[in-house]
Amino acid sequence: MSHLAHTVALRASGVDMFFGTQENQVVALRQADFEARRGELIMLVGPSGCGKTTLLSVIAGTLTPQAGSVEVFGQRLDGLGQEELTAFRRKHLGFVFQSFNLIPTLTVMENVMVTLLIQGRPYDEAHARTLAIIDKVGLKGREESRPNALSGGQQQRVAIARALVHEPPLLICDEPTSALDKDTGGHIMQLVRDLSRSPERCVVVVTHDHRIFRFADRIAEMEDGRISRVVDDPKLLDTTHL
Amino acid sequence: MYRLALNMLFGDRAKLAMLLCGLAFSALLMAQQSSVFFGIMSWTYTPMVNIRAQVWVSDPMVEQVNDAKPLRDTDLGRVRSVDGVAWAAPLHTSFVQARMEDGNFKLITLVGIDADTFAGAPAVLTQGRIEDLRLPDTVIVDEWGAALMGRMTVGPDGKPRSIPLQVGDTFEINDIQARIVGICKVKRAFTGGPFVYTTYDRAKGYTLGARRTLSFMLVEPQKGVTPAELCDRIERDTGLKAWTADTVIWSWGERSLARNTFWWFWTNTGIPFSFGTAVLLGLFVGIAISGQTFYSFVLENLKYFAAIKAMGAGMGVIARMLFVQAFTAGLIGFGLGAGMAQGIGRVMIEKGMPPFVMYPQILWATFALVLGISFVSALIGIIKVSRVDAASVFRG
Ligand SMILES: Nc1ncnc2c1ncn2[C@@H]1O[C@H](COP(=O)(O)OP(=O)(O)OP(=O)(O)O)[C@@H](O)[C@H]1O
Ligand SMILES: [Mg+2]
Repeated sequence: MSHLAHTVALRASGVDMFFGTQENQVVALRQADFEARRGELIMLVGPSGCGKTTLLSVIAGTLTPQAGSVEVFGQRLDGLGQEELTAFRRKHLGFVFQSFNLIPTLTVMENVMVTLLIQGRPYDEAHARTLAIIDKVGLKGREESRPNALSGGQQQRVAIARALVHEPPLLICDEPTSALDKDTGGHIMQLVRDLSRSPERCVVVVTHDHRIFRFADRIAEMEDGRISRVVDDPKLLDTTHL
Repeated sequence: MYRLALNMLFGDRAKLAMLLCGLAFSALLMAQQSSVFFGIMSWTYTPMVNIRAQVWVSDPMVEQVNDAKPLRDTDLGRVRSVDGVAWAAPLHTSFVQARMEDGNFKLITLVGIDADTFAGAPAVLTQGRIEDLRLPDTVIVDEWGAALMGRMTVGPDGKPRSIPLQVGDTFEINDIQARIVGICKVKRAFTGGPFVYTTYDRAKGYTLGARRTLSFMLVEPQKGVTPAELCDRIERDTGLKAWTADTVIWSWGERSLARNTFWWFWTNTGIPFSFGTAVLLGLFVGIAISGQTFYSFVLENLKYFAAIKAMGAGMGVIARMLFVQAFTAGLIGFGLGAGMAQGIGRVMIEKGMPPFVMYPQILWATFALVLGISFVSALIGIIKVSRVDAASVFRG
């Protein structure tokens, strides 16, 4: 691997994240340190409630941690205002949400286009790029369908297309394959992995799905609000709780 | 993005229908209630519409058109000699009882007009000719009154029914015969019964008891003299009160008799208040309904706006999307509601003489209110979206 590939794409250090008030406080992240490299696909695994989604939110700048710092492609998130964070997400991030959050009154085409239109891309360009990505995730012919007319797996693919269409430097996926069968899941992961293969890019995937572990360059294990271990080979994982 | 905002709005037909129904209904309610209110209020100055003249002169104590304080016949001469008067004609108005052929009594508004000039004559006659008023014992009755004072007979189905008065029918006013020689079309009045036109001199006869019968003088200004100018001169020279005849609410001046009548009823009777309350109620209900429907639409989409926000849309874009949706829905809702209100008004007008005046200003005000409501709802939605925690969209 090149020298660049080993340089840091994103780094979270000493992150504390609590929810609630004094009496019934929930600690979601406790001194969490996390690092992803340029050009890699890193997976985040761990038992339910260990703080995976919370860590993704902190990285995306949608949650502001009580302590610690986050840096994404050289950009420190702490100290940024709301509008700056929004602009940061628009430029650098693609999301696949755990619940897809597709807009039910819009077509598949329009749901995906939202990403590009937010970026200020002209309608026609957005249209052309959207057609291409819909084809890539295997939904050609369903462009004009509404999300409710699609199966769970198809909806998930729409969500993935929406996250990929603008080829974001940092792609964040929460359970991207949970509703997909093995073949489709593999196909989608191949797409995501191809996207990560550039020093300008990085993909973080939260998953319980051991069928896709083989697509990971590294796997970070989480436990009780912190990263407990990072491994290069899925076989080294403690999968008892997954 | 605006295209998508509209598609979001139009995407769910059922919800859109609900939203538009709410907005349309409230627009209908607001426009309809206000139109009825102004319609009823316009009845208070009906004589100003039915008896057409440029300047009205009355006793100085008169406050409104339905309350005439008799003048001396010699006042006519004094007014005629005021500089700028082209002509001045006498007018009698009073509420009297008319005795029908079947023995029933009906309250009528007796209008006596100058037999030479016919100043103040009704504008539209559906039957007969105005000149026939010069024949003995003749009157002209308005259409609505002709039906109201109609003769009761038994119809072919055995049920009683009323046949409207026709030209040639007669009735009595204070035991003096009144023969109908014409039927006219006039506006309905708030205070009295049907309008019965006769000549000024005959009106004197019909109201035997009255010592003085000159209620108003109708005055025409000479060319180049405005009604308002002439009013000033008449008041200065005679000490009488002079009024202009403009009846358009939005443009009537200080001197308008219609305007003073309107405000007299406003301040001296509870009628405008009770109707006004109904209008306000309509407004509140309208505001509540459209606000509520639009707000629930915004709430339902909150989650998706939050997702769009998490994906990096700035509040500016989201705000504009919400405004586009709000104004589009408001516009369509208003169009439907105002259209319905106008349709209902038209049906009412065809069926008779309803209290219904839909001024363009009412439509504009309703339009502004509906858009205002949409605007406020969108604003609340925007505040909600701006407060919503972007992280919430990550959770399942
Ligand atoms: N907004 C919140 N308010 C209160 N507690 C929260 C909030 N968000 C997360 N938590 C708590 O923080 C902890 C970590 O939650 P998180 O969603 O990050 O877990 P997770 O690892 O993603 O779990 P899963 O695999 O089930 O998605 C949990 O105990 C959760 O209840
Ligand atoms: Mg989670």
